[in-house]
Amino acid sequence: MAGRTVMTLTREAPVATVREAPPRRRRHDGLTTALMAGPATVLYVVMLVVPVGLAFYLSLTDWDGFSADPAFVGAANYARLLDDPELRRAALVTLLVAAAGTAGLNLLGLGFALLVDGVSRANTFFRIVLFYPHVLSALVVGFLWSAILGTNGAVNNLVTTWGGEVLPFLSDPAWATVTMIAVLVWAGFGVNVVLYLAGLQAVPHSLIEAARIDGATRWQVFRNVTLPALGPSVTINIVLSLVTLLKTYDLVVSLTAGGPAGQTQTVAYLILWNSFHDARLGFGSAQSVILMLVTAALAFVVTRLRRRGEMAVHQ
Amino acid sequence: MRKTFLSATAAFMLVPLYVLTVNAFKGQQEILRDPFGLGGLTLEPLGRALTNPQFDVVKGYAVTLLFVVAVNVLSVLLAAPAAYTIARSPKRRFRVLMLFFLAGTFIPGQVLVIPVVYVLKTLGLMGTIRGFVLFETTLTLPFSIFLYAGYIATIPAVLDQAAAVDGAGRLRTFWQIVFPLMRPAVATMVILNTFSVWNDFVNPQIILGPGSGLYTVTTGVYAAVSQYSTDYTVVFPTLLLAIAPLLVFFVFMQRHIISGLTAGATKG
Repeated sequence: MAGRTVMTLTREAPVATVREAPPRRRRHDGLTTALMAGPATVLYVVMLVVPVGLAFYLSLTDWDGFSADPAFVGAANYARLLDDPELRRAALVTLLVAAAGTAGLNLLGLGFALLVDGVSRANTFFRIVLFYPHVLSALVVGFLWSAILGTNGAVNNLVTTWGGEVLPFLSDPAWATVTMIAVLVWAGFGVNVVLYLAGLQAVPHSLIEAARIDGATRWQVFRNVTLPALGPSVTINIVLSLVTLLKTYDLVVSLTAGGPAGQTQTVAYLILWNSFHDARLGFGSAQSVILMLVTAALAFVVTRLRRRGEMAVHQ
Repeated sequence: MRKTFLSATAAFMLVPLYVLTVNAFKGQQEILRDPFGLGGLTLEPLGRALTNPQFDVVKGYAVTLLFVVAVNVLSVLLAAPAAYTIARSPKRRFRVLMLFFLAGTFIPGQVLVIPVVYVLKTLGLMGTIRGFVLFETTLTLPFSIFLYAGYIATIPAVLDQAAAVDGAGRLRTFWQIVFPLMRPAVATMVILNTFSVWNDFVNPQIILGPGSGLYTVTTGVYAAVSQYSTDYTVVFPTLLLAIAPLLVFFVFMQRHIISGLTAGATKG
């Protein structure tokens, strides 16, 4: 039916817009607009807006993923969240990953952006090499690093051949968490390099030269000219890293599978595990609502703090 | 000193890729004996990965490519005209519509997948290719519309008026005059969508489900590797087959891909 409407409209539209009197033309215009913006809007509402609302609703039910009308349980899922030790640990891991990962991504991102700034063949090559892991899926990156850092992995093979002890990169909880953060940074900081490079192009060259002529050291130039001018870039990079890291999932699946003993489960991992392994989608919805709210709140707070910082610099 | 440091870093970035490539051509014994060496290379593991009953790689490529093409075509067909309407209308309600779409860029996928299962079940689309393609396309809409509307605003409206004077309707004006000029923006989105569909794990895994027998390259890697993560003659060749097309594509189109994916990263 939709197909037929398209056909008749495309055939008639040109004729109508040229010949007909204004009232008819306006109605036709409205139809064309509906035809152009309508399908996208309908799909967006059905598959994105409705689900966001549903997430709130389902979090108040005991939906198991199968039943047609789940029972309403009120705030029970949220109450259970508060004293769930598994979730508390996952929240801690997630916050640690997000904080340490954001620091790593941005320190390396900004540092390497300064190193590969400027047009040259070598710089282009280095940018590509720093960026390429971002092309791979996090799932592949995790499997690859687990093959390299696992107990029988490439690195431990080398270590034992040289007579050393096996290093528990993925088999000790603390090591596994650090390994996970390191792999996330390895795979992601290339994007931050590119974003900071874009920011660096906006730093006025004349200012840097003026500071140099006045006898400022490289560090002083960076600290007092480049970094303040990069302010908005830093904010964007920090918020992006935080938001991305707070939903870390694929890498957990492939690198550690949440182990050892569930010690590297992130909140996103737990959400999907509870929902689709334990068939507790109502409970999972409650967790994802909280995750969404915490993410939004953190992004907001960081943006506000940074803005205040930027204002202070400009005064 | 800068060059030395950068070269050392580049080596560190590339070592995993080297280990992956070299060991995809070795037996288990050889991998365990000398994971970094070049001894005992054979094509046998790669051949076995190609005929793995757990995951048919060639079919995985075909399925993934089908999804990539379907999502890209549908996304352009829906987002481009919507963005045109928004960008060319001075009316307030279209600015509101833009904000409405823009809000979608802030919703993380994990929050959506559970309620989307509910919606798809209600519509009878759960576990179907149609359902998956529709949802994956929806995820591309907010940022596409944002990017396209911004780009269309840079195309002079005089062109539209000229076309209208010549008797072209709005649909024709858009598709024949404006759309061809949007090529750079469309190329950016196609690159971005191609990578996000190819690399997506959660959505195909949950919406299509293992029961459907439909594996994308990424869910197929999971099916093939997760159970056998210590059998390196499965892990390395499978991973190599999964990333080789992307890496080749990346090497040839690196400048466009880097700018496209970076634009995508900023969508939050």
